[in-house]
Amino acid sequence: MGLSLTVNGDHLTSTADPITPLIDILREEFHLTGAKPVCREGFCGACMVLIDGKPTPSCLMPAALAEACDIRTVEGLAVNGGLNPIQVALEACDAVQCGMCFPGMVVSLTHLVTTRPEATRDDIRAALTGNICRCTGYERIIEAALLALATT
Amino acid sequence: MDTPTSGSVYVAPSLPAALDALDEAGSEAAPFAGGTWIMRAPIRHEPLKSRYVAIGKIPELHAIKVDTDVVEIGAAVTHAALATALAELSEFDVLTAAAGRSANPAIRGMATIGGNLATTAFAAADCVPALLCLAAEVEIASRGGRERIDLEQFLTMRSTLAPGWLLQRIIVPRRGRKTAHARLPLRQAGDYPTAIVSLAVSLDDAGHVQSARVSVGSVEPVARRWERLEDALVGHKLNATKAADAAAGLAGEFTGRDSADVPAWYRVRVLPGLVRRAAAALGS
Ligand SMILES: Cc1cc2nc3c(=O)[nH]c(=O)nc-3n(C[C@H](O)[C@H](O)[C@H](O)COP(=O)(O)OP(=O)(O)OC[C@H]3O[C@@H](n4cnc5c(N)ncnc54)[C@H](O)[C@@H]3O)c2cc1C
Ligand code: FES
Ligand code: FES
Repeated sequence: MGLSLTVNGDHLTSTADPITPLIDILREEFHLTGAKPVCREGFCGACMVLIDGKPTPSCLMPAALAEACDIRTVEGLAVNGGLNPIQVALEACDAVQCGMCFPGMVVSLTHLVTTRPEATRDDIRAALTGNICRCTGYERIIEAALLALATT
Repeated sequence: MDTPTSGSVYVAPSLPAALDALDEAGSEAAPFAGGTWIMRAPIRHEPLKSRYVAIGKIPELHAIKVDTDVVEIGAAVTHAALATALAELSEFDVLTAAAGRSANPAIRGMATIGGNLATTAFAAADCVPALLCLAAEVEIASRGGRERIDLEQFLTMRSTLAPGWLLQRIIVPRRGRKTAHARLPLRQAGDYPTAIVSLAVSLDDAGHVQSARVSVGSVEPVARRWERLEDALVGHKLNATKAADAAAGLAGEFTGRDSADVPAWYRVRVLPGLVRRAAAALGS
């Protein structure tokens, strides 16, 4: 019996083992390569996806437990075919360097901007505890989050 | 990179169904709670079980019941849910901090308190010392029945618990104590704690310590109480500097664990500083 997964609104099936980390099915079977398996330990956040609206490291989520959930990857965060507010702000603030951490950053910050409109600089920093960036020093990412909060 | 494969996952709809499934599969099976420890088995070069019984959909394991004399916490309550539920109850500050500041936000939304207590190989568990200083008990269940035991006793027997047993809930007495949790991660947040000191005291009207429980986590392989320090605190005014001095005199009883990121001696060396922080958090 296969696995039945709803990813970015599409109903997809997989014959992978039920314990397979969701990240591997997303990337290798569904070719959604935005989420990155970097640490596979829940520390770095590069594999973050939204599961029923909650940022979740897909390296720690067995595919079987994601059945019947709404899975949203960075590829599915666009609004009406355009960038969403945090994506616009990250671009406007020239926040991206190598880009490795960014799909995960976008997922975590999309959640923050949509669920916590009053978030402060400290709230943003706390929300990014599980998203490691080796390049930017975080400041421009935080500025972008503040800009997105101010303009939504 | 090794990734977990070839385990089957049964999502138990109820507690009896979970206990039946665990009983029938015996040593082939284990409970699957948040998965934040299990899913990293390949990185630790450990085999996965061939069958997991997922307990995350069982309603009673998600319940937190606050009564006047006791708080009961279902084993599948996540760290995030626990920190939110206890935020207004100051006598549980130690547990709110343990659950609310461990790991990172996404992990706190997955990792459960039951998983934290049941993972024998995980020395840095935050909730273990916090619950030790709160004198918690646990209830374990199997198809054959239930048993309620001290957390201290559970920690000594958890690695040899027969297949089929499940940690069902944690029972924490309410004694109006003042409590604090001091932890030292290598980075400001997001890392495992190098050492943990959890403190619970009751004070008389003059501010003298009537009773004290101190527990230490992450220093040795299993968290434990620091009874000689507890004795040294009782009868005196709680004073952060004096508590740290007493801790410095007694820290030699700990044998730190060595690891790639932290040498054994360092875990012991930081204990007096953490005792000072915990006592200072109680306003001393
Ligand atoms: C990046 C990262 C950082 C972390 N940082 C910290 C930290 O700072 N402090 C901290 O305390 N923790 C931390 N953790 C959490 C750590 O993984 C914990 O031990 C976690 O609480 C385990 O809970 P779980 O629900 O995910 O357990 P699982 O992975 O589901 O299970 C772990 C073990 O417990 C058993 N088990 C689970 N539930 C039960 C039950 N009810 N009865 C019997 N056995 C059971 C399982 O069979 C398995 O053997 C971190 C985790 C990650 C990924
Ligand atoms: S790859 Fe999942 S958190 Fe790092
Ligand atoms: S931009 Fe390179 S890791 Fe963040």
